[in-house]
Amino acid sequence: MLGKLDWSAIPFDQPIPLVAGAMVLVAILGVLAWVVVKGHLPYLWSEWITSVDHKRIGVMYILLASVMLLRGGSDAIMMRIQQAVAYQSQGYLPPEHYNQIFSAHGTIMIFFVAMPFVIGLMNLIVPLQLGVRDVAFPTLNSVGFWLTATGALLVNISLVVGEFARTGWLAFPPLSELSYSPGVGVDYYAWSLQISGVGTLVAGINLVTTVLKLRTKGMNYLRMPMFCWTTLASNLLIVAAFPILTATLAMLLLDRYLGFHFFTNEAGGNVMMFMNLIWAWGHPEVYILVLPAFGIFSEVVSTFSGKALFGYRSMVLATMAICVISFMVWLHHFFTMGAGPDVNAIFGIASMIIAIPTGVKIYNWLFTMYGGRIRFATPMLWSVGFMVTFIIGGLTGVLVAVPPADFMLHNSMFLVAHFHNVIIGGVLFGAFAGFEYWFPKAFGFRLDERWGKAAFWFTFTGFYVTFMPLYIAGMLGMTRRMQHYDVAAWRPWMIVAAVGMAVLTIGVICQIVQLVVSIRNREALRDRTGDPWDGRSLEWATSSPPPVFNFAFNPDVRGEDAYWEMKAHARQQSFEHEEPEYQDIEMPRNSPTGFVCAFFATIMGFALIWHIWWMVILGGIGAFATFVVFAWRDHDEYVIPAEEVARIDRINIEERRSLVSMAGAV
Amino acid sequence: MSDQTHIPAGHDLAPGEEEQHSVGERILGYVVGLVLALLLTATSFFIAGTDLVWQPSIPVALIVLAIAQMGVHLVFFLHITTGPDNTNNVLALAFGLLIVFLVVGGTVWIMAHLNANMPPMDQIMMRQ
Ligand code: HEM
Ligand SMILES: [Cu+2]
Repeated sequence: MLGKLDWSAIPFDQPIPLVAGAMVLVAILGVLAWVVVKGHLPYLWSEWITSVDHKRIGVMYILLASVMLLRGGSDAIMMRIQQAVAYQSQGYLPPEHYNQIFSAHGTIMIFFVAMPFVIGLMNLIVPLQLGVRDVAFPTLNSVGFWLTATGALLVNISLVVGEFARTGWLAFPPLSELSYSPGVGVDYYAWSLQISGVGTLVAGINLVTTVLKLRTKGMNYLRMPMFCWTTLASNLLIVAAFPILTATLAMLLLDRYLGFHFFTNEAGGNVMMFMNLIWAWGHPEVYILVLPAFGIFSEVVSTFSGKALFGYRSMVLATMAICVISFMVWLHHFFTMGAGPDVNAIFGIASMIIAIPTGVKIYNWLFTMYGGRIRFATPMLWSVGFMVTFIIGGLTGVLVAVPPADFMLHNSMFLVAHFHNVIIGGVLFGAFAGFEYWFPKAFGFRLDERWGKAAFWFTFTGFYVTFMPLYIAGMLGMTRRMQHYDVAAWRPWMIVAAVGMAVLTIGVICQIVQLVVSIRNREALRDRTGDPWDGRSLEWATSSPPPVFNFAFNPDVRGEDAYWEMKAHARQQSFEHEEPEYQDIEMPRNSPTGFVCAFFATIMGFALIWHIWWMVILGGIGAFATFVVFAWRDHDEYVIPAEEVARIDRINIEERRSLVSMAGAV
Repeated sequence: MSDQTHIPAGHDLAPGEEEQHSVGERILGYVVGLVLALLLTATSFFIAGTDLVWQPSIPVALIVLAIAQMGVHLVFFLHITTGPDNTNNVLALAFGLLIVFLVVGGTVWIMAHLNANMPPMDQIMMRQ
């Protein structure tokens, strides 16, 4: 009846996950109870859960990423403490638990923190920057989000029901095959990634279509803000790469569920094919993450330097070059598998070539700053911190892309330091820069600068104190994923790294405090004009937060830095006074499709993991029925009458006008 | 949504959108596509099991049929044409082909070289 599920699935003998899980459960139930008692449930349901507004969905993506960042961060703290104490002893985490923690950490950080964070920011901002009212497929967008949330939920369920994979974040066979991992851990891993992978693919298709098809008047390709370009590149990579991940995991699942032999040791299976396929997705994936971050930095650097982006066209070219070359380097993750000198050399060279467009970008940002009037607001701090940090990470990347060097450094702590260097210094700093920069747009008030700066400096220093020692430990021969060790020379570096982790944690706390303080002072921090940073692109042309329809009129773009030119224009001629003629606007209706679909997907995923076949069928039918109901819907749009549009728009115009006249008076 | 669907930059449309033809014509297109697709599928199954043709040519024939099958899908179901309003779709197709070429080609190349650092097994076996 319940497949493999029984009471032994609850880890009563392991207090840490149980207590942690219980705490999370209590927190969730508490929040739910509060919501219901206070009567916020209808509001949540109609304004958020069923919302197909790209801004709301973007915010929910970012919320999911932030919550999961705390979960992944707790894993990180536990690992750093373990390695600091487990010198010639077992430490406090038994091996099978430690292995689950590093696997969950990697999986969560890549799939449920970095991905939703960048996808959330793209969702939130790209339609605004393009000057349009929504993404190409609003309801699909909601489906994508909720499927991602399903994946995250399944990973967290594994904390208390059953176990998580002990195989590392990419579940290499043969370890991940049934004979070596008979438990449900790998199944949790694989099904949550399959389900959230569908969500990611859907988001990718949606954003590619949005950029290609929905641009406002005059917004041709070479007038798009840089963030739209990197969004396009990143989502093209999603569309091209995620099917490889899905197919690879599907083969692994066939091995595990139906006795196939794709990657087994026996019966003609080939483990090396898994390595090949997973990295054919895996390397593009790192660029899927970092390209949007590059876009964010481009926006931030040019805004806070008060200058147009230097070398816009070379930046576009570099972005698209990275997009293609990132599909030509994947072997650098398994130089040591023995493809021989020819193959290794070619892929090594290709990996170094990809550093060239990246270098172009760095120079462009530097030249954008050069001669500009730079304001060091928090987003700018993150950007400058990124430039310094990412260069180091890129250089160590080029180093491990030299095959002979990689034979020494592969799977050492040096590698761990490299990829944290690029992912934290690149993706996470980018996400934070975007968060600080666009928060006022999303919520209508700025974030507290003092706490923001404190968060930056603690995170920045904490990062260096944590990860520079790992480079050294790697060069001293320490391999990754060690539950304990006996080499005295490594010990001091592990202790330093643990201290660094404490500093990083303070950074995260500062960020939380910043949020709380800013919400408290929101009246003082209110952004009335919609343009708090003196921005250059169209998202600043509407109010903060923008109305559902984003723009009363789709703006007319006449050049790069569209909003900057509009402002210059307006200052010269002052605002024209006759009021434009407002029109009705049609917007897509909210739809519970995404949430209901994900609800059934969760049931199906859970049932698949535990081999509860009747429940699998139930979940599958439910999800399919939801789709059919949606496909046969009748009314999916509603009308916002012209008077309402006019009312909303007039308020914003008034604010802006007073600002411009004030600026004129000074 | 309605007033943002006419796209200012360029004049290309989503697949399926370009159809200005009558319903009858459209159905005819799909039917032709379906028949061709079924025909190609049936032929593949037939070829795979037959001994009427020279055996070594069978894999080649299957590859040719598979590519033809993709062509039929692209033209009749996904409406890829060479018309000027189709640049986006053709570009997307080209990007897809490039990536498939890189991944499949690279994989074949890598997998064929994985024994490069192994001692020549056949000779070792013979010596024993
Ligand atoms: C100049 C650019 C880069 C080069 C040349 C480069 C090179 C490499 C190489 C050769 C490896 C494999 C080393 C080994 O396993 O022994 C590696 C691992 C890795 N890199 Fe990079 N990298 C670059 C940029 C990036 C960026 C931008 C990211 C992410 C945003 C990234 C994320 C990773 C990750 C996650 C791994 C390790 C995965 C694992 O084994 O678990 N790299 N890099
Ligand atoms: Cu790579």
